[in-house]
Amino acid sequence: MHFFRLRYVLESLCVVAALTTTGATRDTALAHPHVWATIRSELIYAPDGAVSAVRHSWTFDDMFSAFATTGLPKTNGTFTRQTLQPVAQVNIESLKEYAYFTYAKADGKRLTDPFTDPTGDYWLDYDPKTTVLTLHFTLPFRHPVKAKSLQIEVYDPEFFIDFGFAKQKPATLVGAPPRCSLTTDKPTDANFPAEFFRLDQNLVTSEANIGLGASFANKIMVTCP
Amino acid sequence: MRCTDRLPLVGAFAVIVLIGGAAHAWAQFGPLGGLRPPPATGIAGWLLAQQAYFYRALAAMIRAAKADGTAPWGLLGISFVYGIFHAAGPGHGKAVISSYLLANEETWRRGIALSFASAVLQSLTAIAIVGVAAVLLGATAKLLGDTVRVIEIVSYGLIVLLGARLLWIKGRSFLAALRKVRAPAPAATKHGQEREGHGHDYAQEHAHRHVHNHTPDHIHDHAYDDEEPDVLPWGHAHGPEPQDLAGPQGWRHGLAAIVSVGLRPCSGAIIVLVFALAQGLFWAGIASTFVMGLGTAITVAAAATLAVGARSLAKRLAEKPAGYGSVLLRGLEFGAAGLVLTFGVLLLSGYMASERMGLF
Repeated sequence: MHFFRLRYVLESLCVVAALTTTGATRDTALAHPHVWATIRSELIYAPDGAVSAVRHSWTFDDMFSAFATTGLPKTNGTFTRQTLQPVAQVNIESLKEYAYFTYAKADGKRLTDPFTDPTGDYWLDYDPKTTVLTLHFTLPFRHPVKAKSLQIEVYDPEFFIDFGFAKQKPATLVGAPPRCSLTTDKPTDANFPAEFFRLDQNLVTSEANIGLGASFANKIMVTCP
Repeated sequence: MRCTDRLPLVGAFAVIVLIGGAAHAWAQFGPLGGLRPPPATGIAGWLLAQQAYFYRALAAMIRAAKADGTAPWGLLGISFVYGIFHAAGPGHGKAVISSYLLANEETWRRGIALSFASAVLQSLTAIAIVGVAAVLLGATAKLLGDTVRVIEIVSYGLIVLLGARLLWIKGRSFLAALRKVRAPAPAATKHGQEREGHGHDYAQEHAHRHVHNHTPDHIHDHAYDDEEPDVLPWGHAHGPEPQDLAGPQGWRHGLAAIVSVGLRPCSGAIIVLVFALAQGLFWAGIASTFVMGLGTAITVAAAATLAVGARSLAKRLAEKPAGYGSVLLRGLEFGAAGLVLTFGVLLLSGYMASERMGLF
């Protein structure tokens, strides 16, 4: 048995390497993001102080925006809302499968299936200067939420879309009772290099949401005494 | 019998490799749904970050190429590196090709050829889809997404067919090896092998190299190098002869493997191509896609090398005349063929997903 022959050694290394790479990839089930989205959200309150809906404005990166608008006719150098409406519809229908990437916790308890589908109240806007699309849609709560604390998280568990809060005013309250306070949580991750942002000035890039100990999601937290 | 000394070793080896293959697939694709994945740490996290970084860099390079109009060498360089990192993630046929190479007696050269051919085909498919659908037909994103979904189904269906056929062939070999162990043939001749029901396929696929496996009194003392001239690069190197590249099954199976894996294009490549088209730089997008495919090919070829190396080791550990080692080797092949079929079924049923097409 010539176990110390070079061949044996190299082939054994193949097995070891194969098992190691299997082990190394064990911790991740993610493809890298293909879409970057900047979030601005509003929490809409009903007159009785319950939260009735979440209104999102998601601005996509220019690469995805170019893909989304391919084959569409331009009017005066831009895409009109009417032209974009079929695309918006496809987007909303696709989002349904992923629960609109929006998750809610009331008083610390995760709400299952808290939203109904957006009514016709959704549209896409195109900015010809930055060549990006923004999707506007409203997610009504199935049962308006009256809770001392409400937490809304926006994230894609498969990380195909990298969500991040806008730099200015990422979340606002609309019609909220006077003493409610709002905070947002933007996790950062050391894995993503700083040069990342310098490459692309157009986009308010998100900090990546992966990393040891960092919470995965962009969180909006409201407490109303 | 000397072979029984190595029996537990080969057995453990086979089990580990197959579990590893299944675990790899599970880790790569995982269950869908609103579950939070565990944080990506260490090498996996770094890989993910690199992929995202280079993907964003692609867009920046295309914009830069449009702005200054010079040849986009930066774009090509970035595309190449992106291809290398990106293929380390889910998709690109690593699991299927690796399992295929475990199941079949394929030379290393052929494994490399298969990897490159499928990567080139993936590039061609992406360019064809965008070229025909977007450029010629002015297709919208929805149509592009639908086209990819249809091609996906065809691709995964082919993987299922390939896996099923392999499973059938390897199943018969496995049973034949089992039968042989239960009633070992004395002084078998070549005719004797056929009488034992190894079947036409088995004899065909194992050619002259494996005749000595079936004759108990054949001598195995010749140098290892002579047995498999081109299995691995560090073996006894000959120039590649056409029959080496054609493989034991001829081009049929290899082509099936290439097409089934290569049909489904990379979603990222499609988005990049459309973006380049929108900037009026479709030619740059095409070049980028091909160079990306080259990078992808290298990573898949590396995976293929690991598979071929592992298989070669298994074969050598198992090569004793008419012993249990042979049964285990056939069993390993049978299991690997089953893996190919399993991957195809999981992909087709949507339980395993390779890449999404964004919100379309």
